[in-house]
Amino acid sequence: MIKNYRISTNILRFFIYLFLAVLLIITLLPVWLLLVNATRSTLEIQQGISLLPSQYTLSNYKILLSKGLDLPRGFLNSLTIAAATTVITVYFSMLTAYGIVGYEFKGKKFLYNSILVLVMIPMQLSIIGFYQYMSRFGLTDNYLSLILPSVASAGAVFFFKQYLESIMIQDLIDAGRIDGASELGIFHRIMFPIAVPGAFTLGIFTFVASWNNFFNAYILITSRQKYTLPMLVQTLRGDVYRHEYGAIYLGLAASVIPIIIIYFLFSRYIVNGISMGAVKE
Amino acid sequence: MVHNKIRRINHGYLFVAPFIIGFLLFGLYPVYNTLSLSFTDATLMKVDSNFIGLKNFERLFQDKTFLTAVTNTWELWIMNFIPQLGIAMLLAVWFTDVRLKIKAGGVWRMLFYMPNLLMPAAIAALYFSLFSYYGPVNQFLVRSNLIPEAIDFLRNKEITRAIVVFIQWWMWYGQTTILLMAAMTSISISLYEAAVIDGANSWKMFRYITLPLIKPVMIYILVTSLVGGMQMFDIPMLLTDGRGSPANAILTNNIMMYMRFRSSQGHIGAASTIGVMIFIMTTFVALLIFYLLREKHDDFKGKSG
Repeated sequence: MIKNYRISTNILRFFIYLFLAVLLIITLLPVWLLLVNATRSTLEIQQGISLLPSQYTLSNYKILLSKGLDLPRGFLNSLTIAAATTVITVYFSMLTAYGIVGYEFKGKKFLYNSILVLVMIPMQLSIIGFYQYMSRFGLTDNYLSLILPSVASAGAVFFFKQYLESIMIQDLIDAGRIDGASELGIFHRIMFPIAVPGAFTLGIFTFVASWNNFFNAYILITSRQKYTLPMLVQTLRGDVYRHEYGAIYLGLAASVIPIIIIYFLFSRYIVNGISMGAVKE
Repeated sequence: MVHNKIRRINHGYLFVAPFIIGFLLFGLYPVYNTLSLSFTDATLMKVDSNFIGLKNFERLFQDKTFLTAVTNTWELWIMNFIPQLGIAMLLAVWFTDVRLKIKAGGVWRMLFYMPNLLMPAAIAALYFSLFSYYGPVNQFLVRSNLIPEAIDFLRNKEITRAIVVFIQWWMWYGQTTILLMAAMTSISISLYEAAVIDGANSWKMFRYITLPLIKPVMIYILVTSLVGGMQMFDIPMLLTDGRGSPANAILTNNIMMYMRFRSSQGHIGAASTIGVMIFIMTTFVALLIFYLLREKHDDFKGKSG
């Protein structure tokens, strides 16, 4: 009886591993082909599929530059926006969450419930009204219109509210008050250092989301030298690059490689962070 | 004491003030502005605009393309969501099963999640290249004699839709797996032990312990996926020509809104109307799901506790 059970579990286990292996190939093969093809010449790509890298990365890069795709500039633009967005989101969202967790005030409950609802509401759909409003202040085609809205990120406040509640040490804060620290000083010097791991986790997600954001930038930014990386990627579809497959793959690879590196460095933070907002302990 | 308390109360407001101001300026006002634009004939080409009441909405409802866009968006979302939840559920059950002891569960799910972080614009362009006429997929299929001659995948309505659905599934099933696993591992093991003593089989334990207890996370997955799915843009926009080709097969709500916005005149009034309609539809459905399923969940809690 027990022996039969073991055999059937082993058979089941075999099929599960088989399934997982197939799923893994489906998941990684497209990305692997992208990375490999970025190193191959257009001729090689036309001749057939290969899973091994070649040596044409540099010549592909030269083709990209010669066709006027300023990859370094797009890189810098995306980095600027993503870094600024990350700092602002993390700082102001934690500030707001700390106000909700650490203080009693009238309307607090209403504010928190509104934030909960706001997490679910698709605010992005007001982009047209946002565009017209920004253009009145001459802020279209300006990175400020992409960065400033992150002052009010409902999702991030929700994340920090849960997080701060779990790590808050009231005694430390009270001790700070007795020592005569200002309320903002307590936030900066006592709360923030304790909350660094959470800030880091949310920071990674904010950075990646901003780095990948195409829609908002595509609506708000118009001048070519301000194009972000996803906007440059979109131009790779154009006729200028027709049949320059190696160069196209390289342009695409360049925009995903930084994120892959970040992921392999910090996957622990990222994988744990995904469920932090959703599963209550 | 009283003085101290008042001081603290004021500080609470101070801490949340930037958020509230930011929300009013960059969140609420744009919504109001979009709504008021939707009642006008505003374009980007002229300074003045006229109030035209519900004319934009009337025109939109008569436009068959809008119906196509809404139907497409729903279909593309549902077709990816069902297999996404199904496979994620299967994986989460396997990874958390103590008897199966699947090795390196952390590594598997880490790799399965990776596509989710990659730039959707680049992913769309990648799949465009993979499935183009001279692309690797055709090379492979023709050379291994699976098909007699290359197929123009992205000119076929059904195949193009299937590719969009596949990409969405491919990007999101890993995240759903991680969320379901987190929910399953937070269930107390003693519940399962008690069930084993009572002679319950695996299916019964899944059906009567796991499923009810992971419901809140499933609602979260459903609502966030729906809200995201209704705004699907990057993948269908960049997979073909940016107009939902072939024959509007992958034209979504947001692509249609974008096309109005970037039309030669820049019809921001008409574009806002589309935004308002998707906004209402999405918010309504999201809140409805949340409300309906939460009530039931509370009932369950009430009965068991």
